[in-house]
Amino acid sequence: MSTNSTEKKWDRRSADTAERLEAASRYIGPGKQFKPEDTVALLEAVIRAGDRVNIEGNNQKQADFLAECLNKVDKSRIHDLHMVQSAVPLPVHLDLFENGIAKKLDFAFGGPQAGRVAKFISEGKLELGAIHTYLELFGRYFLDLTPKVSLICAYKADREGNLYTGFNTEDTPTIVEATKFRQGIVIAQVNEIVDKLPRVDIPADWIDAVVESPRPFFIEPLFTRDPGLVTESQILLAMLCLKGIYAEYEVKRINHGIGFLTSAIELLLPTYGEELGLKGKACTHMILNPHPTMIPAIESGWVDTIHCFGGELGMEKYVAARPDVFFTGPDGTLRSNRAYAQTAGHYALDMFIGGTLQIDKYGNSSTATASRVAGFGGAPNMGCDAKGRRHVTDSWLKCGKEMPTLDRQIGNMPRGKRLVVQGVETFGEGRAPVFVEELDAWKLAENANLDLPPVMIYGDDLTHVVTEEGIAYLNRCADIDARMAAIRAVAGYTEIGIKANPDETRQLREAGIVKTPEDLGVDRSRANRSLLAARNIRDLVSWSGGLYNPPARFRNW
Amino acid sequence: MPKWNDLQEQSFLESDARARAVGLVDEGTYTELAGPFDRFYSPHLEVLGEAVEFDDGIVTAVGKIGKTPVFVISQEGRFIGGSVGEVGGAKMVNTIRLAIEFHDKLVADYPDISDEEKPVVVISFETGGVRLHESNAGLLAHAEVMDQLQKARHKVPVITLIGSKVGCFGGMGFVAAATDAIVMSEFGRLGLTGPEVIEQEMGKEEFDSSDRALVFRTTGGRHKYIMGDCNVLVHNTIGAFREAVAKLAVLPVSEFEKMRRIGSPEAVERQLRAVALAAEMQPQDARDVWVKAGNPDPVALTDIPLDEFLADVKRLSV
Repeated sequence: MSTNSTEKKWDRRSADTAERLEAASRYIGPGKQFKPEDTVALLEAVIRAGDRVNIEGNNQKQADFLAECLNKVDKSRIHDLHMVQSAVPLPVHLDLFENGIAKKLDFAFGGPQAGRVAKFISEGKLELGAIHTYLELFGRYFLDLTPKVSLICAYKADREGNLYTGFNTEDTPTIVEATKFRQGIVIAQVNEIVDKLPRVDIPADWIDAVVESPRPFFIEPLFTRDPGLVTESQILLAMLCLKGIYAEYEVKRINHGIGFLTSAIELLLPTYGEELGLKGKACTHMILNPHPTMIPAIESGWVDTIHCFGGELGMEKYVAARPDVFFTGPDGTLRSNRAYAQTAGHYALDMFIGGTLQIDKYGNSSTATASRVAGFGGAPNMGCDAKGRRHVTDSWLKCGKEMPTLDRQIGNMPRGKRLVVQGVETFGEGRAPVFVEELDAWKLAENANLDLPPVMIYGDDLTHVVTEEGIAYLNRCADIDARMAAIRAVAGYTEIGIKANPDETRQLREAGIVKTPEDLGVDRSRANRSLLAARNIRDLVSWSGGLYNPPARFRNW
Repeated sequence: MPKWNDLQEQSFLESDARARAVGLVDEGTYTELAGPFDRFYSPHLEVLGEAVEFDDGIVTAVGKIGKTPVFVISQEGRFIGGSVGEVGGAKMVNTIRLAIEFHDKLVADYPDISDEEKPVVVISFETGGVRLHESNAGLLAHAEVMDQLQKARHKVPVITLIGSKVGCFGGMGFVAAATDAIVMSEFGRLGLTGPEVIEQEMGKEEFDSSDRALVFRTTGGRHKYIMGDCNVLVHNTIGAFREAVAKLAVLPVSEFEKMRRIGSPEAVERQLRAVALAAEMQPQDARDVWVKAGNPDPVALTDIPLDEFLADVKRLSV
């Protein structure tokens, strides 16, 4: 009851933050603004050795100016930083480790720097915490990996320090909330400071300092696929998917991966999809970035709702002009949000469909190669069966009902299952076989000293494999032996595929576990580019009524 | 090969050389000259251990559009970038030569023959010019084609078509410029030194070849149409190109003189005026020239649908 001189203090974090901001106060002027040339000094004032620091490194927009400045701090004072951030796609993110400023990394996606991550781990320059999914990492921001200092980016700030993150809101709200509500420090770089924002995405009192960056932040059009590059083989795969899966299960709530197969599917919706009578029955609710290849389907009235992880360069005006479909603010522009889109992706989708670099004979798949620590971003959250799901849709129920062995786990209790589909050509990029005895992920685990081989989608979550040979309905397999046989049957002339036994394959076809294009009634000769609703970027511009403004590199007129 | 009717709707940009050649002439009139079964292939590539093609990447044929005999030359960009070597060059030369000889014979045998019954040559370009593996023979082939173009003057109109992936660059850019009429789609590109080579020689500040929007508004069909380098701008189907050829094929050969870029004192003077204008304007971008031609909103000009473009655009006159 009595208070004494050793009374426990409960505000050490905010006191520490106040002390640091006091040291930085001489750089921070009205509206929380500081000058670009003071950035390094300001970072030296607010960051201490060993701090946990987040540099907003999203899938798309990058706090690149602040990242460059962090590389210039006095490393005799600031070192051993623990970086916690979604992605490390820029060279400067890894320079921090080379320069001895950062020591430990917890992240979700490596992108172009994946090779350096692996190299630095083996050289002892980088201590890897863990490779996460986005949602996992976001969860840990609010648990045991809360940043002390976050360096974020936004399109605009006003004169009070409110931020507009707009089209590419992405991770910003999650990072800021975790940091600021744990008494941390948030510093923002913006492209411009204006009198009035279109809307406030992040309120000023969650921000400690703002700088107008000398140049706009770097952003990459990651989700633009040129229809001109879609091959006839991909069109065949897309036809198989539409007839054998989209029509078979009438899947309404879907995430499409980033590859050309799903672009082909998107471009076939208004043609082949319409012919199959799928409009209104499939693809009505999507979790997607604003893929330009979705424009023909949206314009043809296929899509009810799209929520976005991030934005996509060139799609700003188009999205703003379609507020019935996209999540736009009172100001009319999109607000993406990676955390919410991933939550929907994990719990509310009926199907995830995408590609991979390798699938092993058991059905485990990974994009990991022996010398790159890349991570998988959000794919594992969407490419799995969310065990916490309790609501019901027809396609989810049907996929679960087809599982012959559910009773061995939960008796007579019915349950649904998410469709998790991998669509691949049996020989993929660089003519490398996709179906392999052993994933390269095992070699990577050895090379980079990881506890587990990095697997993108585990075999027990995978329900369907689609190749040019046909579809393997793995959810209909009774055991691992049947699954392996079904995978062999569609694995073509890879080392896995040539082990297929014709009698076994015939039995699988009779049982409806494997279906060839002929079994499905898909005419291979129709798999040509004339079936695409748009055959080049120019066609997409026309479909959009001139609203889509493709980046220069995609223009060929 | 798709059916002839389907070819008409097919994207010209995505069509291979033979599909373009077959689709450009009337159904059932196509006869290939020195085709793959004749196996005229490059002896130089064979010596170098490189793969050959039995047509050497150039399709030559004869067919008809209406009453007009049409000699077709069609280049295949997917074989060594459409480069022209000794054999392909000889096929081009002899196709034009055949057309001229056929013209002379027709006129001699039938003095009253109408313009639309006289032959034309159509060249569908998809090339970066000389095949470097056989450089001297390739260069010589270019000169010989130019020589045939001169011999065809005032007799056989030679019509250029450009709308394929590679575009028309290098030495063949000169050849195309020396023909009588040029038909392009907005996906076609025409130039001399290719964008990558300009960047390599003059630096990224001079010309950023990775900026495709810049490349196309400097070399693409819309720009060439404004500049007058391209006579007819058409939609991207084989049928649209065919229709343009059909309209040109019936014209008297004298009409083609007005469409030419070079070959008369007037044409040369016009080119010199264009050079003087460029020196005076010092344009930093193709759009500066579009404005000069009388187009107030050059940025919008790139993206508006082709029919609107053709209806609204002002072309440069010097």
